[in-house]
Amino acid sequence: MKKKKIGVYICHCGGNISDYVDVEKVRQAVEGEDIVFLAKTTMFACSDSNQREMVEDIKVNNLDGVVVASCSPKLHLLTFRNVSVRADLNKYTYVHANIREQASWAHSDNKTGATEKAIHLVKAAIAKSRYAEALETNKVKAIKSVAVVGAGVAGMKAAISLSDKECDVVLIEKESFVGGRVAQWDSLSTTTETGKEMISRLYNDLIKRENITILTNSEVIGNKGSVGNISLTIKKTPRYINGSCHPEDLKRAIAICPVEVPDEFNFRLTTRKAIYKNYPSEYPQTPVIDLKNCTRCGACEKVCPTVDFSEKEEILDFSVGSVLMATGFDSYTPAYGEFGYATLENVITLPQFKRLIDTQYGKLTYKGKEIKNIAYIYCVGSRQVDGENTYCSRNCCTSTIHAALTAKSKFQDINNFHFNRGLRTYGKQEILYADSLRSGDIYLQSYEDGLPTVTTEGKKTLVKINDILTNGRKMEVEADLVVLVTGMVPRADNSVGSLFKLPKGRDKFYNEIHMKLRPVETVIDGITIAGACQGPKNIAESVNSALSAATKSYSILSKGELETDPLVASIDPEKCTWCGACEAACPFDAILKVETDQKVIAEINNTVCKGCGMCAPVCEPDAINLIACSSDEIMSMIDALA
Amino acid sequence: MADLHKNSAKILVFSTEKISDPAIDMAGLLKLHYPPTVYTITIPCSSGIKSSWILHAYQKGFDGVFIAADGSDCVYGESCTEKTGRLVGKTHELMKAEEIDPARLRMAAICSVCSESFVKQIRSFNEYLLKTLHP
Amino acid sequence: MSMDVQKKNMNYDALVIGAGIAGGEAALNLANTGYKVLLVDKELSVGGKMIMLSKVFPTLDCAACITTPKVSEISRHPNITVFIGSEVGRINKLSENEFTAQVTRKPRYVHVEDCTACQLCEKACPVNVRDQYQFGLIGRKAAFIPFSICSPKAAAIDIDNCTLCGACERACPTNCIDFTMEPETLELHVKTIVIATGFNLFDPMNMPRYGYGQYKNVITALQMERELAPTRPFNTILRPGDGKVPDRLAYVLCVGSRDASVGNPICSQICCMYSIKQAQLLMGALPMADVTIYYINIRSFGKGFEEFYQQAKGMGVNFVKGKIGKISEKENGNLMLRYEDINEGKLKETEHDLVILSTGVLPNAGIDRLFENEKLSLDSFSFIGQSDMLASPAKTSIEGVFVAGTATGPMDIPDSILSAGAASSEAISYLIQHA
Ligand SMILES: Cc1cc2nc3c(=O)[nH]c(=O)nc-3n(C[C@H](O)[C@H](O)[C@H](O)COP(=O)(O)OP(=O)(O)OC[C@H]3O[C@@H](n4cnc5c(N)ncnc54)[C@H](O)[C@@H]3O)c2cc1C
Ligand SMILES: Cc1cc2nc3c(=O)[nH]c(=O)nc-3n(C[C@H](O)[C@H](O)[C@H](O)COP(=O)(O)OP(=O)(O)OC[C@H]3O[C@@H](n4cnc5c(N)ncnc54)[C@H](O)[C@@H]3O)c2cc1C
Ligand code: SF4
Ligand code: SF4
Repeated sequence: MKKKKIGVYICHCGGNISDYVDVEKVRQAVEGEDIVFLAKTTMFACSDSNQREMVEDIKVNNLDGVVVASCSPKLHLLTFRNVSVRADLNKYTYVHANIREQASWAHSDNKTGATEKAIHLVKAAIAKSRYAEALETNKVKAIKSVAVVGAGVAGMKAAISLSDKECDVVLIEKESFVGGRVAQWDSLSTTTETGKEMISRLYNDLIKRENITILTNSEVIGNKGSVGNISLTIKKTPRYINGSCHPEDLKRAIAICPVEVPDEFNFRLTTRKAIYKNYPSEYPQTPVIDLKNCTRCGACEKVCPTVDFSEKEEILDFSVGSVLMATGFDSYTPAYGEFGYATLENVITLPQFKRLIDTQYGKLTYKGKEIKNIAYIYCVGSRQVDGENTYCSRNCCTSTIHAALTAKSKFQDINNFHFNRGLRTYGKQEILYADSLRSGDIYLQSYEDGLPTVTTEGKKTLVKINDILTNGRKMEVEADLVVLVTGMVPRADNSVGSLFKLPKGRDKFYNEIHMKLRPVETVIDGITIAGACQGPKNIAESVNSALSAATKSYSILSKGELETDPLVASIDPEKCTWCGACEAACPFDAILKVETDQKVIAEINNTVCKGCGMCAPVCEPDAINLIACSSDEIMSMIDALA
Repeated sequence: MADLHKNSAKILVFSTEKISDPAIDMAGLLKLHYPPTVYTITIPCSSGIKSSWILHAYQKGFDGVFIAADGSDCVYGESCTEKTGRLVGKTHELMKAEEIDPARLRMAAICSVCSESFVKQIRSFNEYLLKTLHP
Repeated sequence: MSMDVQKKNMNYDALVIGAGIAGGEAALNLANTGYKVLLVDKELSVGGKMIMLSKVFPTLDCAACITTPKVSEISRHPNITVFIGSEVGRINKLSENEFTAQVTRKPRYVHVEDCTACQLCEKACPVNVRDQYQFGLIGRKAAFIPFSICSPKAAAIDIDNCTLCGACERACPTNCIDFTMEPETLELHVKTIVIATGFNLFDPMNMPRYGYGQYKNVITALQMERELAPTRPFNTILRPGDGKVPDRLAYVLCVGSRDASVGNPICSQICCMYSIKQAQLLMGALPMADVTIYYINIRSFGKGFEEFYQQAKGMGVNFVKGKIGKISEKENGNLMLRYEDINEGKLKETEHDLVILSTGVLPNAGIDRLFENEKLSLDSFSFIGQSDMLASPAKTSIEGVFVAGTATGPMDIPDSILSAGAASSEAISYLIQHA
């Protein structure tokens, strides 16, 4: 093979590197390496002008590859691979050295050490470059269909937007109704439309589309394949009601059902029967029988002919190109006794309070007692000093103020007392806060180390605080109702997240690839995240993220074909003796046992292999190497670093 | 170079592209300093490291090898922890056979935000290696 | 001005107005799904405000480092045409899927393709003016390269300040300076439009009690961004009054926000966070300095924000709840801040040697006037109105015209990216549905 000719570029990064690493010294140290044809320093390697210069250099000098020593490859590996491509080189001939995060910054206390290290890192990259070969990406067919998991506002909007783009959609909802949390809200802030009306509007849009399949009462239980062609197994639990039930029959069936369980739709404020419908305009309109609690007494069957206990659970298979996750959030459940939760009669959470004011008319009562003084305790389960939830839940301040104002306008003589930790009505939501102040709501703010307390004295419930806003004065409010402003937490049931191996962040919500610039993509190719499952959001923010995720999912599939990384394992058929150890080690079933003319050996299925390398160390005869990470490459890098 | 070695041992780190690399990068970003003779080679997953690579490093004069393992965060699945553990065990045996102190190979799970823990681990490993190899 | 409108046959699928991070992201999304995009910006570089920032909260990624890859992706994309230094005027909707728009390309007086950014023209130019890209912290020449990471990286002649002495023309080794260039106005046909014209910052001159423009050591946060950026104008943090390294810095939050008396009652949603970010960076750059943040409420509501705020407290940034009443200057250039310390309920006065005003986000007015035959509605704060704010936040009052980023209201970078994602999604759907 003819000797390679490569170019090496060492970046100043404005000063981020050159303030600590003597880049000229690095250049001199490597320019003599046999395959190095040219070595240059540059102010910003990633700048357009330098990229142009690199393309020139490669073309004019017929270089076979380049090494750029700059910042982390997380930022610029792709940039420089693309530069190579523009200069007609194969992108895998490019090798990156990270001399910023791992040299100049890590050793900004030791300039000599940082420079020495940078020299070694660049030499190792040159060593790797010696082996870097042109590789062809694997092309796989992409199925132009997306599975949207969760039919909350995010999932519904994503589905509509994908359908508009002529992409098939399977919308999978675990509950018996669509709409998620928004279906549970009536009045919303910043609009006169209620949550339920908004969901009806979206549902009516959804059902008129032929390319959307809506599955309620359904869950994903199996996931195979990878981006472009993902096979999902979906379990659909029957409703045990066949066709549409006549409203009068349904009314009688519900009345006759002897079972009574807490109603999750109303956050357990009320109870429901085993045959039920959450609210009149709920979608789909068919009621459902909750078989877990049903005693099979058969009473409903007698009054409503559509009840059908013979319906069976269905297992459905769908093949899609991408999965858009929109599973939303749970509301934080306070600990036993946290601000009197579960220990005092008149302490409820914000979602319960929303249901309470939405379902009552005339007088506001709770447990038979009329409510006048309401104390709201903010940040319950958020911004915890001792607990795990250190984050702010973003929209509870606004939702609380809005609920308080709604209560005030709907019922008479309401006095609102807000025990907050600094209001976060960011952006235009500030107007709501101003309205609330104008309407006479009282705001009391606690010190970070002195949260309010809820106690009882005789029949009275007292909320006490040392109030910052009045210079630390001890204040006390006698509350008829205490509302705990509970924040958003990730869904308690993460089975679908584990199924897709979605990484979670510090806050346990699903994690995006890059917090600033790639907020809806994940490290798992082809899986995007939208709405509140990525972190607390209000409706508009959830919809923005849903549409963004739809765009990303769509753009992966829009060409009908996609390229996968050729960086997979490869087997040396000479050395392989088929012992089966690799097959056992592979977590993706990418290893096949094949018979050639002479012997039985292992073979890699390139489109399934993800290139983790787990098979390589278990191979006794050392027949397996990862492409671009072979023993030869690693050993030569070790030589260069030594 | 001679100077450098007085308070810094030569350590080869195997780290992973998606999990521990970001932590090591962030250690740099946060200017959490560690010895400059610590070099990182990036691989996709810690359970793909071959014992032969590790032994090669000692032959070439590295004082220590540190595996910044994926732990339970591994993007290739939960079996990573166990598999990485197994290959470390196997390498320890081979090291004993060649009379290399097995403590010169260390492993710790480094998650993608574990910058501080990475630096703490490396500093203590460095101290150990200096004490035992360059007293 | 009467100008010939060139009727060159120019057709694009989408016109994106504004090449900040929102416009850039929207253009890339459209281009990556195969549509031809024209991206227009009135400035001399793409990248909007973000490319000028130091680092970004709460990741502390270097803003230039994460913007430049996007910027070069945009400028290289085969489906994107970028018009820099250009303004859009007169947009008419002929029918669904059919808009005409006039775009005026202002002359740069430099042939960008030939310029090597060698800076010889800069050296030769005798004229010194305030550098708008460093927010007046330093000066620049009339022949100048806008800033070190601008894209395209090429010189430009600031004709308003140029004396036409010809020195740059003589110095230029590639003869790319050309004073005969004329403005050209093109008429385009496009099928959909995304407005991403961003925001303006509140001008603190409108609040004389803080002394901006009068006291030299009162600066804005955007100026501080430049002092902290890797491509910074000075090598360290200086106060402009006398070049001294400050050691008692103060941030005044909500300047021009949450304040009906200056006509802006809303919260700007980013200034708490960018101030906390700068405070952290300052603690790193000037380890001995004291940094105090005067606030009403700290709005650290986003992913990782509260933790970032707590981290700043842990690093020793001093947070004082209190609104600054008045700032006055001492003879040595130091500043006296009068405020009510709310935690202690006392009126207080403290001395600082550099004051940074965290100015708020205002709408970029006038975009609605570009539309001739249909009305682009604004909201009550003059941001671009959202016709279906919750269910379709990117839709405007004109079908086929969408809005992205801070043109709809204050937001940070990730929210701008999400909003741009929504706008491009709607635009792609519109293109497909009206194909
Ligand atoms: C008390 C309160 C008041 C609020 N008021 C407002 C307001 O006035 N204005 C506003 O803009 N926002 C408000 N919000 C915020 C709003 O509720 C959220 O922005 C919105 O619900 C987020 O939508 P989503 O689709 O991401 O999640 P969700 O609404 O949680 O929907 C997720 C859906 O996914 C389904 N799902 C979950 N797991 C699975 C699975 N494994 N398989 C299949 N399906 C699954 C769920 O059943 C659900 O239907 C409020 C929030 C709270 C807590
Ligand atoms: C001091 C400061 C610090 C900040 N720090 C952070 C941070 O750390 N993290 C973070 O997330 N956010 C930060 N931000 C916020 C961030 O800058 C914005 O979120 C982001 O820049 C918004 O992008 P945009 O594209 O919407 O607007 P812009 O950046 O304003 O871009 C709009 C573009 O449109 C162009 N334009 C305007 N009108 C026209 C017209 N008529 N014709 C053609 N072009 C036009 C402009 O020239 C500009 O290029 C900070 C902001 C400030 C002020
Ligand atoms: S939004 Fe308000 S109530 Fe919710 S956690 Fe944040 S500060 Fe607390
Ligand atoms: S973000 Fe903070 S500084 Fe900015 S207006 Fe809102 S409260 Fe004031």
